[in-house]
Amino acid sequence: MKHNRIALALTGILLAGSANAEITLNGFASIVAGVTTASDESLYGYDDSIDFSPDSLFALQASSDLGEGLSITAQILSRGADDWDPKFEWAYVGYQVNDNLKILAGRQRIPFYMYSDFLDVSYAYPWITPPRGVYDVPFDTFDGIAAIYSTQLGDFDTTLHAIYGGNNSDIEVFDNESSADFTNFAGASLTLTRDWLTLRGAYFQTEMNIDLLAIKPLVDGWNGLGQNHIASQIDIASDTSEFIELGFQLDFDQIIIVGEYSSLSLDDTALPDQESYYLMAGYRFNNMMVHVTYGVDEDDQDPITLNYQIPGIPDGTAFESLPVDLQTLIYGTESLDTATDEDTSYITLGLRWDFHQSAALKFEYTSFSDDLDSNSDSGLFRTALVTVF
Amino acid sequence: MKFLKSTQSKLLLCTSVFFLSFSSIADVAVVVNSTNADIIDDSDIARIFMGKMKAFPSGGSIEPINSVSGSAVRSEFEEKVLNKSSSQMKAYWSKLIFSGRGKPPTELGSDAEVLKHIAANAGAIGYVDAASVDASVKVLKTF
Repeated sequence: MKHNRIALALTGILLAGSANAEITLNGFASIVAGVTTASDESLYGYDDSIDFSPDSLFALQASSDLGEGLSITAQILSRGADDWDPKFEWAYVGYQVNDNLKILAGRQRIPFYMYSDFLDVSYAYPWITPPRGVYDVPFDTFDGIAAIYSTQLGDFDTTLHAIYGGNNSDIEVFDNESSADFTNFAGASLTLTRDWLTLRGAYFQTEMNIDLLAIKPLVDGWNGLGQNHIASQIDIASDTSEFIELGFQLDFDQIIIVGEYSSLSLDDTALPDQESYYLMAGYRFNNMMVHVTYGVDEDDQDPITLNYQIPGIPDGTAFESLPVDLQTLIYGTESLDTATDEDTSYITLGLRWDFHQSAALKFEYTSFSDDLDSNSDSGLFRTALVTVF
Repeated sequence: MKFLKSTQSKLLLCTSVFFLSFSSIADVAVVVNSTNADIIDDSDIARIFMGKMKAFPSGGSIEPINSVSGSAVRSEFEEKVLNKSSSQMKAYWSKLIFSGRGKPPTELGSDAEVLKHIAANAGAIGYVDAASVDASVKVLKTF
């Protein structure tokens, strides 16, 4: 609701501005169809019947220059995955302080990754979507303020993008929509570019609260026994999360090599720490590009310390002799350690064909393997028509 | 009549193919306002047209002017000076447009319009077919 009101207010300003300022309209779209290679497989929202909805999207951006460095931009995005419900993905006022510094206030993208700023603009990168293993933080916008400072350091064009704000939209955790609140979201990304070389690093941290239904019985159970120190290792309440990203890109005339590493720490929560990386190599010829990507994801839950002190239960009591309720709690908590672990890798082969001045066709095959559960291994074929206008 | 028409269109096709191939070997002249005394090298020109350099060494704001998308001189300029294909440049600007980082240079429809704009604006920089250059502007370099 709050976001809608902000968006509405911004639209109001935008429309008011239109009386004397020109509005520029831009847009982009991806129409993506995908199907897994076998009937028992599912990957990235696809199964063995051809589906257009998981990755298809359509966006319109309106921006207006109000003069003296002030501008306003709103981007409305509809995703097939959200039943095409349009949402304000970006809605901000920009102020160009001088040639080096720009301030953005409003709803905007968190610059987590190398491709975050144009995450949904498939036309701007080789893949149909960036490698999902690395690009998996369950939200990518925030409401707040950002400063983008660009300058030349030696031979490097340098951009520092610092943000502060929050996000309180629902997020998807363990396949369930959960209400979440991220406050004091702060951090920055630094990008250095020189000719064919780009280096990037980012660090963010946030305080977070997530109402996760799946862990509520465990949290309530330990709290009920007065063991708040155990409950607080499981619940996601006033916990601090840290995110680190490192990336590079070598872009020669014909050859492009990109690598990205990310690490997400979610200490003292039921969510595992996540580490992932990918490496991509592409080759351009005529108006085509072939590329191959290899990626790895590892999720690992920190062990939860079960140092309970419950009146009437002496230290060292054997598990079998404990009350059944407590046995269930211990069993549930211990299984959390392993239930969320993940160890997966994937190889994606792709072709991009710039067949038109503002549109490209893409074909991709992804072979996904799960080292902990080979039943989850799958193959996915996707094809996309992507455009900017 | 029918025969004549198809011959005509074939002829037209021939001349336009000739025109295209002719124009793609034409040189591109990068031009600035005649009062501009700044020293601007090749990499500066590329950085200006990629939105990375916004002020001249002497301090004035730079206003880059693009030739209209799809024009021969535009592809020639992007290929020779920016070392990018038209679709690579389109992808590059998409990144900036949709992230609020910047907007592409103003586009003008013909060499004459570019020359007129540059003659009238001290901070403007553009490019035209070398054959179109006149005395109203200063040629920085021909590629």
